[in-house]
Amino acid sequence: MHIPDGYLSPSTCAAMYVASAPWWWSALRRTRRKLLGRGLPQLALFAAFSFVTMMFNLPLPGGTTGHAVGMGIAAIVLGPWASLLAISFALTIQALFFGDGGITTLGANCFNMAIAGSFAAWGIYSLLSHGAAPDSRRRVVAAALAGYGAINLSALLAAIEFGIQPMLFHDASGAPLYAPYPLRIAIPAMMIGHLTIAGIAEAVMCAGLFTYLRRNEPALLHLPSLSEVNAPRPVSGLWATLAVVLLLTPLGILAGGAAWGEWAAKDFSTAAARAQIAAVSHAAPPASAPTGLARLATLWTAPIPDYAPHLAIKSAAFGYLLSALFGVGLILSAAWIAQRLWLLASQRRVQ
Amino acid sequence: MSRGVIAKTLHEFTNALERTLISEDSAHGRGLLQSLDPRVKLVGLLALVVSASLSRKLVVLGVLFGLGLALALASRLSLFSLAKTVWLVAFGFTFMIAAPALFLVPGQVLYKLPLGSLTITAQGLHGALLLMVRVETAMTLSALLVLTTPWMQLLKALRAFAAPVEVIALLAMTHRYIVLLMETANAIFESRQSRLVGRLSGREQRRLMVNTSGVLLSKTMEMGDQVFQAMQSRGFRGDVKLLTDFHLRRADYLAIPGFAVAVAAAVLAGR
Amino acid sequence: MTVILPTYELDSASPEFAIDNAHFAYEGVAALQGLSLEVRAGERIALLGANGSGKSTLLRLMDGLLFPSEGTVRFRGAALTEDALENDAFSHNFRRRVGLVFQNPDVQLFNPTVFDEVAFGPLQLGWKREEILERVHATLAWIGAEHLKDRAPYRLSGGEKKRVAIASVIVLDPDVLLLDEPTAALDPRSQNQVVELLESWNNGRKTIISATHQLDILGDIAERAVVIERATSAEMLEDSDLLEAANLIQPRRRARVSL
Repeated sequence: MHIPDGYLSPSTCAAMYVASAPWWWSALRRTRRKLLGRGLPQLALFAAFSFVTMMFNLPLPGGTTGHAVGMGIAAIVLGPWASLLAISFALTIQALFFGDGGITTLGANCFNMAIAGSFAAWGIYSLLSHGAAPDSRRRVVAAALAGYGAINLSALLAAIEFGIQPMLFHDASGAPLYAPYPLRIAIPAMMIGHLTIAGIAEAVMCAGLFTYLRRNEPALLHLPSLSEVNAPRPVSGLWATLAVVLLLTPLGILAGGAAWGEWAAKDFSTAAARAQIAAVSHAAPPASAPTGLARLATLWTAPIPDYAPHLAIKSAAFGYLLSALFGVGLILSAAWIAQRLWLLASQRRVQ
Repeated sequence: MSRGVIAKTLHEFTNALERTLISEDSAHGRGLLQSLDPRVKLVGLLALVVSASLSRKLVVLGVLFGLGLALALASRLSLFSLAKTVWLVAFGFTFMIAAPALFLVPGQVLYKLPLGSLTITAQGLHGALLLMVRVETAMTLSALLVLTTPWMQLLKALRAFAAPVEVIALLAMTHRYIVLLMETANAIFESRQSRLVGRLSGREQRRLMVNTSGVLLSKTMEMGDQVFQAMQSRGFRGDVKLLTDFHLRRADYLAIPGFAVAVAAAVLAGR
Repeated sequence: MTVILPTYELDSASPEFAIDNAHFAYEGVAALQGLSLEVRAGERIALLGANGSGKSTLLRLMDGLLFPSEGTVRFRGAALTEDALENDAFSHNFRRRVGLVFQNPDVQLFNPTVFDEVAFGPLQLGWKREEILERVHATLAWIGAEHLKDRAPYRLSGGEKKRVAIASVIVLDPDVLLLDEPTAALDPRSQNQVVELLESWNNGRKTIISATHQLDILGDIAERAVVIERATSAEMLEDSDLLEAANLIQPRRRARVSL
């Protein structure tokens, strides 16, 4: 997933440097106070550790091996800002010294893996482990999902950067100048490998290190002592299921057609849709949409009709995934708000 | 393969360590690029990499690649090791990515394959070639920078271009500790490799990897405290200071216009 | 209770170090429990004790890197506390006067080249550029490492690393040198080199405090030994019962040590 030199146009590279710069600058400012203390060598050591982690081959079920990047555990231990610095350092040394990943594309690589990856991991972990007992299984699952989510987000961003190249940078005859695949190929190509192999490697590494640290160096994980926390029931299985469902949503498109019973009013007047309805219902549909359906259908126009946001991107799968992420994000936020309110209410009741 | 994962990881560590050491060796050699001021090299070679990025013509890229080759030879770099570390790797990787483009990019049909409906288009061919040559050229030019400049000088050159002091100091320390951790990890793996008698299940292997990683992390944390104490003991209070002493010599006064001309030509010709 | 051997009578100038009833614990495990020690200027002392007896902790207390939970550590009469070392002038003066060579040279070598490593201390203390260059070259020549000056520290052998670590501290020309196991993990020739270095560096005015459990080099690097242990009796070094009690020797191999 380290993008080498030559895959992205200079303007893309420049744009990604510009995108990364404010994050680096802000992170340096925030950690400067800590850097005056013992933070300095620790940050360097963590960067070195993440670098070395990228060399570990993890055996995965099925006989393959995968690589982790380490942004998951780095974000959990160091927090997102220090983590983005540490991973950026590791990536810089890989690019400069080992030729792993390009120098012009360093901005893009840092943005995808160090910046977006760290924040995604930290956000997912904080959200999912919130309020969990220090020794609960939920925390471990949260760590696993944090790693998984982070690496897949990085891969998705890289895929987008690849995928827009042929659209924006091609010569007069239409030959692509840089990465040659449009989004509809780039995204599945990158994501399949990461949703499976690399993602699982990162999840395993992150969860494994989390468990190890929890046992041996709990202070690093900023876990409060048991007495300070109301231990809610672990709901790890639920979250895991939700995450899996979320990431498999693009497969929904492959199922083809609309789900039974979810037809829009206009489907009743198009021949192709009518044929579909007939096939799945084993009966002929009425000649036109039932009046009740037609009236109610216009009551609410969803902001994102048909799960495909109105972006200049023609990939249905991508639009689907985006909508799914958004939808889940909404649900999670709502759940989090609800939980906080509940905790507040229960505290007040205790007093 | 039960030993596969450990052996493979061990192999990677040893390779990486070797590359580090080789890099330093070639950086101290007596060649053209080694004799230049690191700042000149940094700007010159990076500018060439950028011009390769900007170029839209295969011919221009080919010339740039040739230039890279010439510089490598003049700097007494072993073309064989360059091939091993840079070219083959880049070629294999990029070929795998670029090959499907031959068939997938729409355009004027050049050749229709006898099997199925796969056609190679002119645009696809051009795009694939362009990508591959560009990647090879860029990687060669940046490898030249690293292979002919000691790490310390590279960092100080970055400092000369106003990179923040803490960043430079952190990069230097990070590099130092990468080598240290690699050596430690290497030792751990070597000892495990020699103690393995039977097969390990996938699950056991995973646990091994994660535990090794954990041990390494613990060591990292422990070292962090001691390193900080060692720095404090010698007066460190939070300000990072570096000794820089570069000066331009005759070779540099020739190299600067040389690079400038090459870059300008590449950019203009490649539009 | 920690043991201390009786001191010699020296001149009555204020002692270099005066440690009074120091306590220190690492995460609940006591490393020092009420240690008292006095060191006079110009003395060469060996701190003896088995592993885990608190030698390293004591050295770090003396170098102002750790602070006792109880008791005081004074350098030339001034107490070494966190606040005291926050003061720029005090810190500057102290760091220049006292140097510590760590047991593991790897934690001490974190600069890209040997030259940078030796220059680190002077740079931190704000010396002038020309002065730094001159001093670093002189120090490297003195320890016989001039040819290593552009080498990266991770490419050095164990003995070379140790010499560079010592050089990086000596370059500041401190009055006090603290050494934590200076000959640990070194081959005999490197050990000799280190011992010779220490002998030639001392010109009667330098205070050298070495923590070690290697008895055969004691005579060369120290005139007085302090045994750190939890026994209650205190005697001079020649007493092998004491040494056995302090777990420094075992009955089968009674080392002949002479001061």
